[in-house]
Amino acid sequence: MTVSRRDVLKLAASAAAAPLLPRPVAALANAAAGLPAGRFFSAPELALLDELTELIIPADEHSGGARAAAVAGYIDSRLFEYDPELPERRAARERFKAGLAAIDAASREGSGQGFLSASPEERLRVLQALAAAEPSPQTEAERFFKELKEWTADGYYTSRIGIHDEMEYKGNSMLAEFAGTDPASLPPRGEPR
Amino acid sequence: MTLLRAQAPTPKPADLQRRYDAIVVGSGAAGGMAAHVLTSHGFDVLMLEAGKQLDIEAELRSMEWPYDHPRRGEMPYSSHALRLNEYTIRELPYAKGMPWKSVHSYVQGWGGSDYSKNIVVDEKEHPYTGTSYAWVRARCLGGKTNIWGRLALRLSDYDFKASSHDGYGDDWPISYADLAPYYDRVDMYLGIAGHPEGLPHLPDSRFQRSTRLNAAEVRLRQSLARSNRVLTPYRAGVTTDGLKHNKYRSRCFGRGACGRRAGGCDIHAAFDSPTGLIYPALDTGRLTLRTGSIAREVTLDPATGRASGVAFMDAQSGRSLEARGRVVVLAASTLESTRLMLLSRSPRHPDGIGNSSGHVGHNFSEHVMGPGVSGFVKDLVGKPRTVDDGRPGGFYVPRFRNLKDRRPDFIRGYGFEGGSGASMFPETQAPGFGAEYKKGIREMAGATIGMGGFGEVLPRYESAVFLDPQAVDKWGIPVLRFSFKFGDNEKKMCADMAQTAREMFEEAGIEVTSARSEIRTEGWSIHELGTARMGADPKTSVLNQFQQSHDVRNLFVVDGSSHVSASCQNPTWTIMALCWRSCDYLADRLRKGEV
Repeated sequence: MTVSRRDVLKLAASAAAAPLLPRPVAALANAAAGLPAGRFFSAPELALLDELTELIIPADEHSGGARAAAVAGYIDSRLFEYDPELPERRAARERFKAGLAAIDAASREGSGQGFLSASPEERLRVLQALAAAEPSPQTEAERFFKELKEWTADGYYTSRIGIHDEMEYKGNSMLAEFAGTDPASLPPRGEPR
Repeated sequence: MTLLRAQAPTPKPADLQRRYDAIVVGSGAAGGMAAHVLTSHGFDVLMLEAGKQLDIEAELRSMEWPYDHPRRGEMPYSSHALRLNEYTIRELPYAKGMPWKSVHSYVQGWGGSDYSKNIVVDEKEHPYTGTSYAWVRARCLGGKTNIWGRLALRLSDYDFKASSHDGYGDDWPISYADLAPYYDRVDMYLGIAGHPEGLPHLPDSRFQRSTRLNAAEVRLRQSLARSNRVLTPYRAGVTTDGLKHNKYRSRCFGRGACGRRAGGCDIHAAFDSPTGLIYPALDTGRLTLRTGSIAREVTLDPATGRASGVAFMDAQSGRSLEARGRVVVLAASTLESTRLMLLSRSPRHPDGIGNSSGHVGHNFSEHVMGPGVSGFVKDLVGKPRTVDDGRPGGFYVPRFRNLKDRRPDFIRGYGFEGGSGASMFPETQAPGFGAEYKKGIREMAGATIGMGGFGEVLPRYESAVFLDPQAVDKWGIPVLRFSFKFGDNEKKMCADMAQTAREMFEEAGIEVTSARSEIRTEGWSIHELGTARMGADPKTSVLNQFQQSHDVRNLFVVDGSSHVSASCQNPTWTIMALCWRSCDYLADRLRKGEV
């Protein structure tokens, strides 16, 4: 028997999760600073995006989160391929750049610090305020949060980690027999149980 | 486990100098069936298909994981899928002036659009005008059968004799007894999975091994049984036991690919016209297939007044060509066959061939969609993961309205299609973020259940398509103008559909998370029917009971355009059973030289 990929990832996720909870600001800022520029986003933008996606879908005891699933890189590569000549695609690109800036600005407004430099509590507060407006978002940052969350979920739940580790999806395999209950084994129609 | 993988046979080139026994226009469910039956009877058939023959396994790649695809299964970013609101907000033709490289119907907005991008048409090349309509078309060998929803249902005399039951419209010129032997043949030749229920209004097929119900579905079935309603496993036009007589089709291995994409099955367990009907017909040596052949007119022998063949355009060269045959069989899909009839004008047929009744293009019907309900079963939240999508479909709730009872507010009925449980892509529309959000999605995935209604749309003479006097398609051929809106009966039916769906869930103890009552744009069901209907009276119908033109006896129209009423059951199986019956009749006429 071999150690499955899932077990390895579980270990990796728990190792990453341990320092995540009370992580000091400096460490976070350093971690963020370590990310290179994306193909579409600048290095600071990609670092911010990476942190935001991880806050939306974090690593937990069950599986890795958006960071482990490279969701920020996925979003970056998709937006990079968008043709700016197409108005709807260009607008999506612009919304992303402006949206990231708006979230950073919201953080500055609250704590005087950019999002990545703010404390974990302050970052959480910024996102909680944005999430509270989900039913009817008004500001640019609120609208962007909603969109970002959709992208994050899309990227995460189509990733290896999302499909196999987190959701433990068992399909897309050759089955000898259909799973479930044969209706012939159920009480006849019309007869109460 | 063995997978059958036989190469597509190589078609021989068409000989346009000769006169074939039959020219079949279209290669979908109807065209494929016509080719199968006529070649089986020993006749030489030339099939004209407007689109290409795709390397369909390479298109579908049914088991490719999303993370192994550069865009996670999405079609190229330069393409656009029309959204629900665009169908009502935008002026027709929808794609006109859009900056996208290609524009597609709404089905390309579903997951996995890259796998169907070459199957469905580009709206820019195929415009239409008039009232809002979500017209989904596939122009390639096999047409829409390459991606169909697989629900394979029979009609009954509740449908064929609906007018006798409630006084609206017309009865069909046939009864269930006429068609039942042909439904049997379709079942046996193509394979269908299902569970017998003994219902008079939804006759059982000759079923192969049924798919199964999962826990939430069993719960709903048991609850519905208490009010004498039925929930039955999805009756799928899928071979679950395999077909000994067809080397191109493997049995179903429950891979679940059909649920997470527009459709399509690269091992062809799900019926599609090419592997189910056309390849075997090619193997008889009597079928000649010509793709890239865009039919634009049924030609007429001026001496006899009968059809002489089909004028078409070669899609590559743009050349105008003509194929000749003893009979012409139209099977280009309901609205395309209708368009072709309207395009075939001559002094003898000033309003289009076979249109002395003035009914070609009229009595347009289909299924109305929109109302439905989603929910979850509390007991199943957080339970260990099971395989729920490893089957060709979830469940079907057959019609229960206006069978014995009479609703005061609407006539006819509706059924529900639904499913439950975990799939590759979970429902992610939950509030909040972080660990709780993630956990909620994880724990809810196996517990969800949902269903949506399909209701019968009444045929009305004024529900119609016409040729647009100006607009043309990419090949310069006049396009259709729609004049079609749902009526009062459909609206009242949908109100009942929405309310009843919710009640059914609540009575089963299912927590309702969303209930929808809005009606989707006309066309959404992709079940266009009725625009060249059958009937006994040549003054009020276009075809006789054998789908033969009242006016031109060597012209047959064997697709959904012949249906007299829509019923609420999905039409594909009925299209094929009717076509088989008509082509048996046609073969007999050909043998006797009576066409």
